Amino acid sequence: MDFQRFKPHLPWITLVVLVAFVGMVDDTFLRPANLLSLAGDIVPLFIMALGLTFAIYIGGIDLSAQSMANLITVVASVYLASFGWGVAVLCLLVGFGFGMVSGYVTTRLLVPSFISTLAVGGVAFSLAQFLSGQRALNMDAAQRDAVFGWMIGKTGPVPNELFIAAGLLAITLFIERRTTLGRALKAVGAGEPAAAASGINVARYKILAFAISGTLAATAGLLFAVKLSGGAPTIANGFLLPAIVAVLVGGTPLTGGVGGVLNTAIGTLIVAVIRSSMLYFNIQATQQQMVFGLVLIGAIALTIDRAKLRTVK
Amino acid sequence: MYELKKVDKKFPGVHALKAVDFHVNRGEIVGLVGENGAGKSTLMKVIYGAYQPDGGQIMIDGKAVRFGNPRAAMEQGIGMVFQEQSLIANLTVMENIFLGYESQFVRFGVINWKAMAAAATKQLAKVKLDIDPGLVTAELSFAQRQLVELAKVLTLEERVQGNLVILLDEPTSVLAKEEVDLLFKLVRELTSRASFIFVSHRMDEVMELSDRIYVMKDGAVVDVVDRGLKTVEQIQHKMVGRNVDKEYYREQRQKPFDASQELVKLAHVDLVGRVKDINLTLHPGEVLCLVGTEGSGREAILRTIYGMRTPVGGTITIKGQPVSGLSPQGAVARGVGYVPRERKIEGIVGGMTVYENMTLSQMGRHSRGGVLRIAGERALAREWIARLSIKASSEMADCGNLSGGNQQKVVLAKWRSGGSDIMLLDHPTRGLDIGAKEDVYDMIRDMSEAGVGIVLVADTLEEAIGLSHTIIVVKDGAIQKQFDCAVGAKPSLYDLLHYMI
Repeated sequence: MDFQRFKPHLPWITLVVLVAFVGMVDDTFLRPANLLSLAGDIVPLFIMALGLTFAIYIGGIDLSAQSMANLITVVASVYLASFGWGVAVLCLLVGFGFGMVSGYVTTRLLVPSFISTLAVGGVAFSLAQFLSGQRALNMDAAQRDAVFGWMIGKTGPVPNELFIAAGLLAITLFIERRTTLGRALKAVGAGEPAAAASGINVARYKILAFAISGTLAATAGLLFAVKLSGGAPTIANGFLLPAIVAVLVGGTPLTGGVGGVLNTAIGTLIVAVIRSSMLYFNIQATQQQMVFGLVLIGAIALTIDRAKLRTVK
Repeated sequence: MYELKKVDKKFPGVHALKAVDFHVNRGEIVGLVGENGAGKSTLMKVIYGAYQPDGGQIMIDGKAVRFGNPRAAMEQGIGMVFQEQSLIANLTVMENIFLGYESQFVRFGVINWKAMAAAATKQLAKVKLDIDPGLVTAELSFAQRQLVELAKVLTLEERVQGNLVILLDEPTSVLAKEEVDLLFKLVRELTSRASFIFVSHRMDEVMELSDRIYVMKDGAVVDVVDRGLKTVEQIQHKMVGRNVDKEYYREQRQKPFDASQELVKLAHVDLVGRVKDINLTLHPGEVLCLVGTEGSGREAILRTIYGMRTPVGGTITIKGQPVSGLSPQGAVARGVGYVPRERKIEGIVGGMTVYENMTLSQMGRHSRGGVLRIAGERALAREWIARLSIKASSEMADCGNLSGGNQQKVVLAKWRSGGSDIMLLDHPTRGLDIGAKEDVYDMIRDMSEAGVGIVLVADTLEEAIGLSHTIIVVKDGAIQKQFDCAVGAKPSLYDLLHYMI
């Protein structure tokens, strides 16, 4: 069978094969309760990956996502007491703002996004260290439950995080498929010069893509802080690599223009299955990043569109 | 001596070469013509080793050979002069000529530059190019670079036993007439050293240069014509399977334009660089053609009207309103449409559907509150697919998979469906086959009749003369002369060339 035609179907086939394989060796894996908790646990990562999808969809990358989530866990913990539910708005605004800065640096100062977002991530990390005094912070448990308890409860057997994930997926899917913003981002990813020559304000849409990425990274950070009832400047470390893996194994290549948020949903599930099977096979946490690193290299090599990439440096 | 026997090549969904027989004799110049998509490029890639055939044989001097890559083909004496030049701009001429083959000049791990310069001078003499081989390639003119490329291929002569076959892919597409004549003279002289395969869209040049012409259509060789045995029309008939209209440029449809109104007016416009003091006026229904050599400033003027370049002096007036700080967004909002020369890069977005491409410049008109009305977009695309007879399976087809002519129609439809009444066309027929060119000419006349003002940079001088109401000759960034081109009173090629060079 021809690989190019097979390629778009690779992500879900991989998922089915992996689930079948792990289900065969580990007979507790396919129990609904296990699957539900598995899916619930991966939601912060999924939300971050959802945001990253927008940066990668336009052919860029957002390496600041993890530092952003770190910063937001600190911001949420520090300001929950004074702002109550308003802290959520603050968190999203911080994420949006930092994303805008990344986008501005990328489009106006013409710094490649992998450097601009790395730098902005460094700034976010420092800010997190400053705000937290380099300590782990705790939220007041009663106040957390009063304001954000709904995020982490359960409705019947289903973790509420899954509803949040589904809601965000629906919103981002709508943006991607049905709005001028989504269409413009696709054009920028698939053929930026043609988009510019069609009179599209390419820079504005790119800045928006990074801002969406930042906002969703902030959402991920907020949810993570609520789950752990606290924050620290390094608490979300280890998120970035699996989040990028989720986007890429889902089928949105680094060169952009194809794939999208639905692909990322599948990619995140693949990451979740890999992660839980590593626990089953007793692979230590310290070695998990190695596995994700290898999967990432494999996924990039398989998905990248070499016609768009004249040279690799 | 070089021969292809029943060569077959298949790609997913396309049978690109169907049992092609092809041979080149020693010292012969063989022409290769065909419409876009007829299989010329695939055949060339098989010849110079970039593709491996799925069936059939490649024979050199009666022995079957197989090339894994272009370098293997070069070792057997097959060289390629690329259309998109393959020289590296920031290397010197001699470094380019011996790129990948420097080891012959290396002593104790160091390159002996003097020896390389001497050897390069010898190669340049073969193509009668008297330049310093130590020059950086970027400083050469396009024609000079083409000759360097030819010299580079001719180094095979020393390296390879046996005979050379050199492919020339569209070598004349950006050369001026004199440069073409020089190149042809050179190629004829070089037949003592090599055989040539000459690929071009310009039928007259192929007829002039070639000893034999292979005519391709739909992946097969449909005719082999010896020199002088058939006319241009007969060969074109074979290529397209029909006669080419005598009224090629649709001159009978050229109507006087409305000189009382002004769509675009440039007054004393200066750009960064050479372009200075540009004055021109475009009227509704007028086809205004900018003529000049490559780099004369034609494209810069087009891009200025589209807001992609910002003037440093002078004024631009669009539909009576002076504009400053014009951006492409602003130009589009004022009804300007731009058909760029690089169709696949700036014209269409490959990977997006036909309808997505058509509404890319006018999404605001097909959305409310940022939410697209996709049903409306698709209906619009279906209408224009029918109107311009675009060959696409549906409005959902990937634009990147359409042929060049149909892609160009999508680009034109993008602007026309959005109501653009100032069209900037940069080489709209570049790389199109005859049938598709005629469609574009018809569309230009249609737009003219509908009162659209068109600024055109044509592919050839004949095209410019045939299509335009007004010709402005640009040289070194300055307007030299304006010609009125009413039907029956058109300037000749010579009139234009006089001011161009």
